[in-house]
Amino acid sequence: MLRFFSSLCLTLSLGLAACAPAATSVDHAAHKGDDLVRAARAEGTLSIYANTDASEVAAVLDAFKVRYPGIAIDYADQNSTELYSRFIAETAAHQGTADLVWSSAMDLQIKLINDGYAQSYVSAEKGAIPDWAVWKDQGYGVTAEPIVIAYNKRLLSPDRAPHSHAELRRMLEADPQAFEAKIGTYDPERSGVGFLYYSQDRLASAESMDLYRAIGAASPKLYTSTGALMERVASGEHLIAYNMIGSYALERQHKDPSLGVIFPSDYTLVMSRIAFVAADARHPNAAKLFLDFLLSRQGQELLAKRSLQPVRTDLNGGGVQRPAVDAARPIEVGPALLANLDEMRRLRLLMDWRDAIHGR
Amino acid sequence: MDRKLRIGVVVGTTLAVLAPLLLVVWQSLLTGPFFARGVTLSGRAFLFVFSDGDFWSALANSSLVAAGMTLIATPVGAMLAFLLTRTDLPGRRWIEPLILAPMFISSLVLAFGFVVAFGPVGVVSLWARDLFGVVPWNLYSMPSLILIAGLTHVPHVYLYASSALRNLGSDVEEAARSTGAGPLRVALTISLPMIRPSLLYASVLVFFLGFELFGLPLVLADPQGRLVLATYLYKLTNILGVPSYQLMAVVVLVIVAIALPLVFLQRKLLAAADRYVSVKGKATNPKPISIGAWRWPAVAFICAWLLFTVICPVLALVLRAFVSSWGEGVNPLAMLTLDNFRQVAAYPSLVRGVVNTLLIASVGGAAAVCLYALISLAAHRWRSGWATLLDYVVLLPRAMPGIIAGLAVFWVFLFFPPLQPFRATLLSLWAAYTLVWMAYGMRLVSASLLQIGPELEEAGRVTGGGPARVSFDITLPLVKAGLVGAWLLIFVTFLREYSTGVYLLSPGTEVIGSLLVSQWATGAVDIVVALSTINIAMVLGGLFLIALFQRKARNG
Repeated sequence: MLRFFSSLCLTLSLGLAACAPAATSVDHAAHKGDDLVRAARAEGTLSIYANTDASEVAAVLDAFKVRYPGIAIDYADQNSTELYSRFIAETAAHQGTADLVWSSAMDLQIKLINDGYAQSYVSAEKGAIPDWAVWKDQGYGVTAEPIVIAYNKRLLSPDRAPHSHAELRRMLEADPQAFEAKIGTYDPERSGVGFLYYSQDRLASAESMDLYRAIGAASPKLYTSTGALMERVASGEHLIAYNMIGSYALERQHKDPSLGVIFPSDYTLVMSRIAFVAADARHPNAAKLFLDFLLSRQGQELLAKRSLQPVRTDLNGGGVQRPAVDAARPIEVGPALLANLDEMRRLRLLMDWRDAIHGR
Repeated sequence: MDRKLRIGVVVGTTLAVLAPLLLVVWQSLLTGPFFARGVTLSGRAFLFVFSDGDFWSALANSSLVAAGMTLIATPVGAMLAFLLTRTDLPGRRWIEPLILAPMFISSLVLAFGFVVAFGPVGVVSLWARDLFGVVPWNLYSMPSLILIAGLTHVPHVYLYASSALRNLGSDVEEAARSTGAGPLRVALTISLPMIRPSLLYASVLVFFLGFELFGLPLVLADPQGRLVLATYLYKLTNILGVPSYQLMAVVVLVIVAIALPLVFLQRKLLAAADRYVSVKGKATNPKPISIGAWRWPAVAFICAWLLFTVICPVLALVLRAFVSSWGEGVNPLAMLTLDNFRQVAAYPSLVRGVVNTLLIASVGGAAAVCLYALISLAAHRWRSGWATLLDYVVLLPRAMPGIIAGLAVFWVFLFFPPLQPFRATLLSLWAAYTLVWMAYGMRLVSASLLQIGPELEEAGRVTGGGPARVSFDITLPLVKAGLVGAWLLIFVTFLREYSTGVYLLSPGTEVIGSLLVSQWATGAVDIVVALSTINIAMVLGGLFLIALFQRKARNG
């Protein structure tokens, strides 16, 4: 059984690798690159902590193993809070921890880098990555995933669906009764990503609090789990999921065409899964090599196949939908995110949110 | 067992339980993670939690749910136990293993099953709406949560009540029947009062589990913004942006503070346990009571309960695993697919997860039962302060919500040098599971022990057997069946455990339960339902084994 699965995976990954363009930019990273590969092979293994499902990145991991045989990967996927807790405790105990940390909890990742948990590395692919996605040559945004409005097409026809934040607000204000308990979104008090997108909404638009008040008037349901939120929109219990992570919604859409996905036309937040090489990494070279691979054309195209929009701008999107360039508002990978973790500021923003949602 | 060994076991158990707990106490008094640089002693965490309105509303909700579910689960569980063990109810041998089912399906999964079946656009709800025009219930209301929590905890009461009833001589019941008492009167005035200690123990345990409830309120009450203590912990992991262990530790201490008086109460009630010794050194052969015309209403009542708490949600969940879409305006039968399972088959750590789950449940479960038996024997019929201490100690781990207990065990394995080599192995996971389920497993074992009349052991001693000889030649063989039964129950319990292993999950130590939790958070519902279906199939296999075992035990 086990052998069957692994040979199946191998066949699949070989097929994928063959489809990918042969000349990737890793190739022309001259001698320095060869040294890195040698050093990584000598380390022979690599531990990754990530909050991206292993099933989503299976093709990337396999392609990496095919390309660099002799480097075993331990890929541990867990949610972002557990990941953070484990990583800081293990680092403090000096008992060995992840070599590469890769998470969509952008503010927590920036805090870890700021607190000295990361080491610097100028990736061979840095030139192909937009400036907003790199910080201190330590944190690298690997994806550029739009934050979308997802809706149920069976119950809300596409021509009635809101195409921007402003439209959503107008629609809710015009008829809050029709959306009573029919809107789901993340709970910023209990979900890290919920807080991140809420705080970015406030930066992106002066009218965001009006939108939150309009949402609040429709008695929204608040979630901590992406799965639960999406399931309830797909089943029709809710009509709209506001601030859904686009990559999940698009991936779900492949299987369930009745799920609609809108990139809001006034502005679309773009979040990134940030990766860094751990300061205490026991296999730093393997981690660097993998980081390069994630950012390479091949790695990015494989991510795009699972609807994880690439951060590279020199790909044609890899076949996955992306927001219009002038509407995209990438959340910058940088120290500005630290403000989110300031206790007083955070509690104040949350109080504003409560007031808006509860119509006070 | 001699005194030295007994004290040794008590001290060892106490250390194993207190290590993670003391870590939590210490953590509650600090300003940051205990291992971080620059943290100082402070009472701020207490101040923060106690001045947070959400904490008090979570505490109020938890108390309400705990009280409500105890009031539902205790009478229902006791009646079921009486019907199935003492009467001639038709089909009782096949009903029995099914009764335990809700206990062995992880509550997160079961709750999701309830949403698919009874949610606003659930399969049953839509059918009811076609029939009545409206959906006559609201799954997300507080009464629904209490009802579901109560009904899904019936097995806990049933388990303790039925094992006590089974060991009860039937002579008193027969005496009552022959003087003209009806079956209901026998149950209410003879059988159930005789097992009062077990019933009280079970209801205190259920009340207590109410404070620890996580999966059901997470799925059913959370989106409404209705918090209970365990889901309030979630809020605390995020409210300040970084996980605030000190705040979580405070909440855990609150739950422990609720637990301690309960254990005290329990001890008071059990003080005269000798009154309830019922397996004496003479043969008894309990005869079932005939309940005559009551048979069919009783069967109908049991079937209705089963249909609501087990069959509907489980079938809904299994249905969900075989479709790509469901809900309002969807004909699920047109959406049938095997894709979800194909996706699982391609999931890299699945095979390891399945193997590990089986391993930890079978071998790990057996090791846990041996340990529980050792600890129980140490305190068995021992009037001493040490035994009192043990009573309190074994319930403490249950006071920590599984996820926190797992985190604390993770810390112990990480920062205590002799344990460090075992951290990334299944041993750490086993330690956490064994600790979390200690109160439950110990009770399973000691329930059998308490039913052995002391005269049997005294006879052994009089004829010259030392304490160890008495334990191993008399007590243990007499409870052998009880131990195998306990192992089977622990086996299924470990199969379905989910929150405890989350922090101990590493490549090589995956178990299905922890995989479910991480997939649920990241959004892969398709994988969650497929994995759950596999998990339920495993649990059903386990229940089938229990049924076979009981049949064999009854015949031989």
